[in-house]
Amino acid sequence: MERTLERILLVEDDPDIQIVASLALSQFGGFTVQVSGSAGEALRAAPAFAPDLILLDVMMPGMDGPSTLQALREIPAVTATPVIFMTAKILPQEVAQYRELGSLGVIAKPFDPTTLAERVRELWREHHD
Amino acid sequence: MKAAVKGLAFEYSAALLEYLGGGGEAALLRAYQLGRAALAEGLGVLELAALHQETLVTVLLRMLAPDESGRIAERASEFFAESLAPFEMTHRGFQEANAILRNINRELEQRVQRILTDYETARTQLAEQRRIERLKNDFISIVSHELRTPLTSIHGALGLVNAGVLARGLSPQVSQLLDVAYRNSQRLVRLVDDILDLQKIESGAMAFHLHPLEMRPLLAQAIEANHAYANGLGVRLELLEAPTETRVYADPDRLMQVMTNLLSNAAKFSPPGETVSVQWSRRAGMVRVSVTDRGPGISEEFKERIFQRFAQADASSTREKGGTGLGLSITKAIVERLGGTIGFEARPDVGTTFYFELPEWREKVQRRGGRT
Repeated sequence: MERTLERILLVEDDPDIQIVASLALSQFGGFTVQVSGSAGEALRAAPAFAPDLILLDVMMPGMDGPSTLQALREIPAVTATPVIFMTAKILPQEVAQYRELGSLGVIAKPFDPTTLAERVRELWREHHD
Repeated sequence: MKAAVKGLAFEYSAALLEYLGGGGEAALLRAYQLGRAALAEGLGVLELAALHQETLVTVLLRMLAPDESGRIAERASEFFAESLAPFEMTHRGFQEANAILRNINRELEQRVQRILTDYETARTQLAEQRRIERLKNDFISIVSHELRTPLTSIHGALGLVNAGVLARGLSPQVSQLLDVAYRNSQRLVRLVDDILDLQKIESGAMAFHLHPLEMRPLLAQAIEANHAYANGLGVRLELLEAPTETRVYADPDRLMQVMTNLLSNAAKFSPPGETVSVQWSRRAGMVRVSVTDRGPGISEEFKERIFQRFAQADASSTREKGGTGLGLSITKAIVERLGGTIGFEARPDVGTTFYFELPEWREKVQRRGGRT
């Protein structure tokens, strides 16, 4: 049975961006959002929260986005959960690299908060079509 | 003359005297060998001739009666001097030619040395220029990325408030101030994007995915994409139909970026109620796309620097029109990267036409049987 997009795990170390992104996703998209401030927090929260989608920051202190994605793939509850990277590093070769890692796509920072939820839905639909 | 040569010359002279005095073949052979040895040691041809002269004169003097000897010796000396004159002149000529060649050689060596030094200097300068260029690109890239993180928060927070998500019923002044802050955060985002775009083009990092593109649908899409923006300024965008199918070989996203820049500029500088028209034509293997507005035109002074970075007609233009001052320089760089050219024609109080030309794409379909 095809899953619907309701629960999003937001992994982002910047507290201000956490607030903006989670509000934008919940207010404009009606999603249930759980925020993790680091890779470690995300790895601990993922099994219980069982997200439909993970929004993952690329540049984080300690374990970065790509390494976090690898570690998440080891957890049975989220081994196949779609991931979208959010990043300020958007050179063409960087974007290509994120796609090669198995993400649905990349959302560039700064994002438009009024269209963030719609952009997430678009990438989700592209993945499921 | 070196001592060894001098000794050999002396012995050679003695052997010749012995032969001419009746010494027979043994003396001649010895003279021959000594003469060869003296030449091999460096005895000059003229010096050898002088030895011959001296020896022959000595022999003649010995053979002649004393009363005749003076006159004969004098004539013999004159004869030899005359005979040797051309050789002496040739020898001098060789010496002079040798000196000239030495000078030319020295000059050539100096020129080669100068060229080598210039080459080395140019190589060092080029390496330094590349190093500075790399540093500049790294700096722009890092600064732009670092700016994006706080901008995400500022732009995002203002966007949410401005959209009325959380705070409804704000006083008009607060709403107005929030709108000012939000619009300026948008401008800052565009500026960072443009700076990064320019840096990507200059460093060769901007990817171009080239395809044959049909002009009409692409231009219609560009008008559709910019319709809302122009509408907000009270300006209409129209596409004038061209009768023929026309294709170019370009990157659709980059071409859309070029069109968006030209259309938004045209809309910004058009009075409300006016129309911006887009048309395309084919000429001499090129496709020309023109965007015409009914704006105030472009001042003579500004025409010269219109494609330069941060070149806006005046500072207030940036504020009023909300541009970054980088749009046209990015547009020009993209068009040139696609193998085209960009230009404009402006008439005061009539309007301005910006146009770009790209090579027309003609697909050659080679089929069996020679049909094309």
